[in-house]
Amino acid sequence: MTRRSVIIAGLAAVAMAASLAAPATAQEFGSPELIAAAKKEGKLVYYTANFAEVEQEVINAFNKRFPEIRVEMVRAPGGQLITRVKTEAAANKLSADVVDHSDRALMVDLVDLFQDYAPPNAADYVPEAMISPKLWPRATLVWSIAYNSELAKKPPKSFADLTKPDYGNKQIGQVIAASGGTTWTRIMFERQVLGEGYWAKQAATNPVLFPSGAPMADAIVRGEVTMGPILYNAIYPKKRDGAPVEMVFAPEGAPVNPYASGVPKTAAHPNAAKLFLNWCLSKEGQTFMIKQLGNLTSLKVAPVYPEGFDPKVVKVWLPDFAQYVKLHHDWVEDWNKVYNYRQ
Amino acid sequence: MDALADQRGVTLRESFMTRAFAARAGGGGRRRLVAIAWIALLLAILAFLVIYPVMMLVIGALTDSNPVVDGLAGLHPSLDNFLTVLANPNVHAALANSLICCGGGTALALAIGLTFSWIVVRTNTPCKRFIAAASMLPLFVPPLVAGVAWVILGSPKTGLINTVFKWFGIEFRVDLYTMSGMIFVFGIYYAPYVYMFTASALRNMDPSLEEASEIAGATPLATLFTVTFPLILPAIISGMLLSFVVMLGIYGIPAVLGAPANISVLTTYIFKLTAWSPPLYNTAAAVAIILMVVTGFLVWLQHRVVSGRSYATVAGKAFRPRNLDLGPWRWLTLALAVAYLFVVVVLPTLALIITAFRKFMFIRDFASLIDPRQYSLVHFQAVFDNPLTMRSIWNTLEVGTITAVLGGTLAFAIGYTIHRTQLSGRRTLDLLSSLPVAIPGLVIGVAYLWAWIAVPGGLYGTIWILALAFVARFMPDTVKALSTSFMQIHRELEEAAWVCGRGLLSTIRTIVLPIASPGVIAAMTLLFVLAIRELGSSLFLYTSDSTVMAVLLLDYYEGGNTGKTAAFSLVQTAILAVLIGTAHWVSRGVSQSSIGRAG
Repeated sequence: MTRRSVIIAGLAAVAMAASLAAPATAQEFGSPELIAAAKKEGKLVYYTANFAEVEQEVINAFNKRFPEIRVEMVRAPGGQLITRVKTEAAANKLSADVVDHSDRALMVDLVDLFQDYAPPNAADYVPEAMISPKLWPRATLVWSIAYNSELAKKPPKSFADLTKPDYGNKQIGQVIAASGGTTWTRIMFERQVLGEGYWAKQAATNPVLFPSGAPMADAIVRGEVTMGPILYNAIYPKKRDGAPVEMVFAPEGAPVNPYASGVPKTAAHPNAAKLFLNWCLSKEGQTFMIKQLGNLTSLKVAPVYPEGFDPKVVKVWLPDFAQYVKLHHDWVEDWNKVYNYRQ
Repeated sequence: MDALADQRGVTLRESFMTRAFAARAGGGGRRRLVAIAWIALLLAILAFLVIYPVMMLVIGALTDSNPVVDGLAGLHPSLDNFLTVLANPNVHAALANSLICCGGGTALALAIGLTFSWIVVRTNTPCKRFIAAASMLPLFVPPLVAGVAWVILGSPKTGLINTVFKWFGIEFRVDLYTMSGMIFVFGIYYAPYVYMFTASALRNMDPSLEEASEIAGATPLATLFTVTFPLILPAIISGMLLSFVVMLGIYGIPAVLGAPANISVLTTYIFKLTAWSPPLYNTAAAVAIILMVVTGFLVWLQHRVVSGRSYATVAGKAFRPRNLDLGPWRWLTLALAVAYLFVVVVLPTLALIITAFRKFMFIRDFASLIDPRQYSLVHFQAVFDNPLTMRSIWNTLEVGTITAVLGGTLAFAIGYTIHRTQLSGRRTLDLLSSLPVAIPGLVIGVAYLWAWIAVPGGLYGTIWILALAFVARFMPDTVKALSTSFMQIHRELEEAAWVCGRGLLSTIRTIVLPIASPGVIAAMTLLFVLAIRELGSSLFLYTSDSTVMAVLLLDYYEGGNTGKTAAFSLVQTAILAVLIGTAHWVSRGVSQSSIGRAG
């Protein structure tokens, strides 16, 4: 068994009964000194590439536990956030206390900006989900296949189904390869796991291309497209609220993308920042994000799984980070050519 | 003879003004120094607001680095980046799409704008004041909101128009995810620019020229096409060029209508370059330079047209515009106006209302569309549960107010210096204050960040940096709006004040400002509205404390929340309507009181 498959096993399967732990106490999220110092700071500035609404739910849940700490969020698309962080840092004006990004390849260049930090449950995390001891997989997103349940008479069950001519003529939606770290993970999965010819067969169905997953999730709900591969957390809240959508985890595997989150050396509210990340990375925080937002987790033992995710059936696929960095440019160009996307 | 007398009058007046200026500057060298310092101050402000960020943009386009991160010493300027962009076929395609889309949109805007200006100014169509006011409404709709509304209406699969067609058994389907769809939406929303120019020219045109044509036997229609329109051609060209330039810089409409069909225009291409992972800012800056060159050429062309011929038809004597009696046809022109308003105001608003109140925008059939169980306040609740919503509203109002006051004051100072003084350097002021019209907001946003982040004194991270960006970006619009007011004030009034011994500041305070105040308030209102709508330059400058409504709206849209996007769009529209209504009311009050004072 390779080291990677051990990790995959750790991420996905293994034994765990759903969260049986006793209710968490505040001390589980940090020492009394840290909590007191964080409360004294009273606020933190949170830079994230995730969607503001989703992160607002996280902030609200954190504030139920720690109402004394105000979280001010700056949300921007991945590329714009990185430019902002780099520029602010170069001008000694980085106002972020926490930076949270989906593209680990972009974050790895910025590691020197971050201070040493580890949550209390650091040992519970899969090391391969991390690119630096300073940056932590606060959120771990997983790909699924979604369809509009009112429109799809024969719903797809696998990634292979998404190449069927029956689903042609703009019924399928696809997020473009250059959209960010999470999509790049799926692109790698398609080529490395589903085979070299997968893109060409899929592109032959003439899919509708979307700049990111969220507008595509909305398009599936509205019936603009009928189905497509989509991040589970982009569509799950809509299903939760009653939208006519269903999701499946494909038997070929579920690509996952862990975020990279850390506390900059220049953080004005380092204690509040650490407490916030501690909570997000805690079992309580991860459980909230899995159950309410549709995330997965990079904890070795998942406290709970998203609805429909059976770790005995679905294989989690985590990309090799060296390849994640190395292949990006050339493969995205290849993808653009196959899908005739102008970049 | 009249012309000669007019010319003599102008010469005498100029000579009088020069003497008055000299008298006021009679303090000798000290006064001259004050004048030089004044021009230098204004030039320095514009250099900071305009030249410095543009320089950053050019540096960005000619290197492969971030000027702040790598420092000026670490930059390796070369034309390679720019040449690579010029050779990129995707850039060619985006440029071609931009030109086709904006060209088509301008043609449609011309047809609509010209028809309406003729209906309002030259015919006896009923309800003309209402038509004139309502036809300006599209100007206040943020482009992203317009785009979203027309996606809801004109999507080939789920559009409300197609749902209704299906219900009526009509086979025809509307598809706005096409080039012609974008042209249609551009055309209907930017027709007011053509209208503004042509209506004003028609009002100022001497009707005796048309009367002469008809006496010579031409039909009213022949007169319209052989006399009226050719005579206002400079205004037509001017309006067309302006609407073309504005469309060229719009992101929201092509972003939502073009994306599903993979049709890129320059603005959406630039946005994609900045949002891709990794972002390609230097390439975006180079594409922006192309956009600036195209826009700059058109703005130059517009200046040439305006300064060349636009006032040739305005005679020096008083006249009233002639109204053509359309007889029963006036009901057809009224119907045309109502149809336009229905398409451009009622339909999109209805689409937004349905989307904002409907739980999900999946509409199986017409019965589902009118099923009351599908509607609720859930999106409004979600929008107002979000603490960012109220903060963004307050921030927007605050930044809008600061922008309006700062920008209005600066534009007044610049406008007065350009139009009412003979100070040397005023032409440079004119040029610098016009420059931002050619710069796309999406990219200048990052240039502002690069330029201003290192400014000492904690500017970055406050709403003041947003306000400064808006002041700079909308300087041409504000100066232009105020210039009209300055031109309408006869110099005799100032001369009278000088003769009575008033100083320059006193004359401005007691004569110019009271008379120009409706124009000043109108310009400030315009600035306020533009600041509230502005997205591109906000994207890099807002921080956690200074999120504005336009940024939050984009976030809702990008977050795939059509319902919340629509709900927040309606909130934004309602706020804009209240503000514009209030400003109009105040402006009328001021106008009446100034007339009272003047009387």
